[in-house]
Amino acid sequence: MLLHRRIYQFFIIYCLGVSGLLILKYLISLSDYVIPSPSILWRTALDIFNPYFKGVMNTLIVAVVGQLISIILALLLGIAGRRATWFGSFIKAAAYNIQAYPIVAIAPIIFILLGDGILSRLLIAAMICYFPLLLSVIGIMSEPVSDVEHFYRVTGRLRWQLEVKIRAFENLGKITTVIAGSATLAMAGTIVAEFIVADAGIGYAIRIALFQSDLSKILVALFLIGITLSVYQGILEGAGFIIKKGWTKKEN
Amino acid sequence: MKIQCSAKRFLFRLILIATAISLWLPGTVLFAADRVSYRLKWIFNASVIGDIYADARGCFRNQGLDVEVKAGGPERDAIMELELGRAEFGVASADQVIRALAKQANLKVIAQIFQINPLQWMFRPDKMRIETLADLKGHLLGVTFGGNDESILRTVLDKGGLGEKEVEFFSVRNDFTPFLRKKVHFWPVYRNTQAVFLEDKLKGAGEPAAYFDPAAYGVKFVANSVITSTAIYENQPQLVRRFLKGVLEGWAESLNVKNQDIAVKILQSYEKETQTEILKKQIELTRSLVQPNPAIPIGTIDIEAWKQTETIMFRQHQITAPVNIERVLVPLAVN
Repeated sequence: MLLHRRIYQFFIIYCLGVSGLLILKYLISLSDYVIPSPSILWRTALDIFNPYFKGVMNTLIVAVVGQLISIILALLLGIAGRRATWFGSFIKAAAYNIQAYPIVAIAPIIFILLGDGILSRLLIAAMICYFPLLLSVIGIMSEPVSDVEHFYRVTGRLRWQLEVKIRAFENLGKITTVIAGSATLAMAGTIVAEFIVADAGIGYAIRIALFQSDLSKILVALFLIGITLSVYQGILEGAGFIIKKGWTKKEN
Repeated sequence: MKIQCSAKRFLFRLILIATAISLWLPGTVLFAADRVSYRLKWIFNASVIGDIYADARGCFRNQGLDVEVKAGGPERDAIMELELGRAEFGVASADQVIRALAKQANLKVIAQIFQINPLQWMFRPDKMRIETLADLKGHLLGVTFGGNDESILRTVLDKGGLGEKEVEFFSVRNDFTPFLRKKVHFWPVYRNTQAVFLEDKLKGAGEPAAYFDPAAYGVKFVANSVITSTAIYENQPQLVRRFLKGVLEGWAESLNVKNQDIAVKILQSYEKETQTEILKKQIELTRSLVQPNPAIPIGTIDIEAWKQTETIMFRQHQITAPVNIERVLVPLAVN
C-alpha cells in the first residue's frame, strides 16, 4: 500500500515538473536545445532506457550498501555518543566536523587513496548519508523512556543493551522514517560520487549528458532515479512496519 | 497671455541650460551606452584573455557599449542564455553550436576565436612514441567521455585505421593524478592553460613531456567562437558590428607582444596565485592558437573546419541529420 502510494505520488510530482518545463518552453518559444519537446523526450527515453536503467541499478546497489554502512556507523556512534560524557561530546564534535567538509574538496583525497572504483563511491555515499542518521540516533538514544526504564533501573537490571533496545523499540516509527529518508541521501551521495570519482552508475551518465547539454537524457535519468528511489523507500517503510509488528508480537 | 509668455521663457531657459550641460559633459555621457551581456565559455583564464582585456581596457566602451563580461563554466551554457534573453552575446564551442542547431536553436556564429583547437593531448615521450596515428595502437588513452576530446579522439583513431579494440580508454575527470602517477601516459589538456601548469610540474620532476595535436594529422575540430541570436543579428546589425569590433580589438591588443605586460597584469587580477612567468607562457601559447598565421585576421571563421566538425559529429551519431553549418557562419567585416 505504502509502495503503491509512493509510486503514484512520484508520478504526479514528475509529471508536474515536466509539464512546468513544457509550459515554459511553449510560452516563450524555446528551442529543443533548451527544453526538449515531448517527442524528443519520448525518443530519448526509448533510446537510452536500457543503459540508463542499468546505471540506476548500479547506483542503487552502491547506495544500499553505503546506506547500510552508514546505518551501522550511525548506530555505533549514536549509541557511544548518547551519554553526556567527554567521550560522547568528542564523538559528536568529530561527527559534526567531518560533516562540515564539502565532499568535492575531500573527493580528490578519496580518489588518491581508493582510486575511482566502487570503494570511493561507497565511502562518499556513506559520508553524505550518515550524518542525519547519526543526529536522529543520538536524539533518540539520549532521550530516556522513563516509564519503562524506571522499573529496570530500580530492579538493577538495566544494562546498556537493554536501554538501547527499549529506546529503539519506543521510537521505531521515527527510526524507520529516518532510515527511509536517508535512502534519498544515500542515492544522492552515490550520484555525487559518480560525478566526481567514478566511471559507472547513473551519476556518471548524467555527467556525460551534461557535457552534451542534453536535457532530455537528464530528464529520463531523473525519472529513473525517482521511480527507483520511490520503490526502495516504499520497501524500507514496509520492512519497518513488518519489524515493528514482529517486535510487538514478541513483546505480547 | 502673460502666463503663456512666461511659460515660453521658462522652456527657452530650460533648453539653454540643457544645451550648456550637454556641451560641458564629455561626449560619452551624452548618450547612455548600450548595455549587453557576454557569457564566456570558461572561467577567466588565458583562454579568454582577449575578452577580459577588451573589458578592462575600454575596447567595448570605445564602441559605445557597456558590456557585462560573465565568466563561464561547466554548468553554464551561452546558447541557452541567448535563448532565455539573459545574454546578447556568448562564446560556445563548435560542438555546442552544432548540437543546438540540430535542435532548432536560432543563432549565428560571428567570429571564431581559436584557429587551432587548444584541446590536445599531453604524453610522455619516454613511454610512447607517436610518429603516425598507428603508433597509438595498444596504448591506454585518456579521454573525457561525452566531451569534445572523445569526438576528436574517435576521429583520430578512425583516421589512423584503429578499431576501438586496438586501444584502451581511460575515463578522465578534472584530476591529473592518474597522469602524474604514470598510470596513463596520454592525457587530454588545454594546451594554453592546464598544460603549462602540468609541464611545469613534470619539468620539476625531471620528466619530459610532448604534445599530440590532432590538427597536425588533419583532424580539425573547431573550438571557441563568438555567437549571438538570429534575432539580434538580424534586428540590430550595428550592435553586433560594434560588439564584434570591441571583442576583436581586445583580442588583437591582448596578444600584441607590445601589450604583454598589460595583458599579464589583467590576467593576474583573476589568477593572483599564478606566477607571472606561467601567465606569460599561457598568453604566448594562446597567441599561437588564436593567430597561428599573421596573414589571417583574428576572428576569421574557418568554414572548412566547421564543416569537418559537423561531419565528425554526424558520423559519430551525435546529430541525427546534417545541420548545414554554413548557413549560420556569418563572417562580418568590422572595419
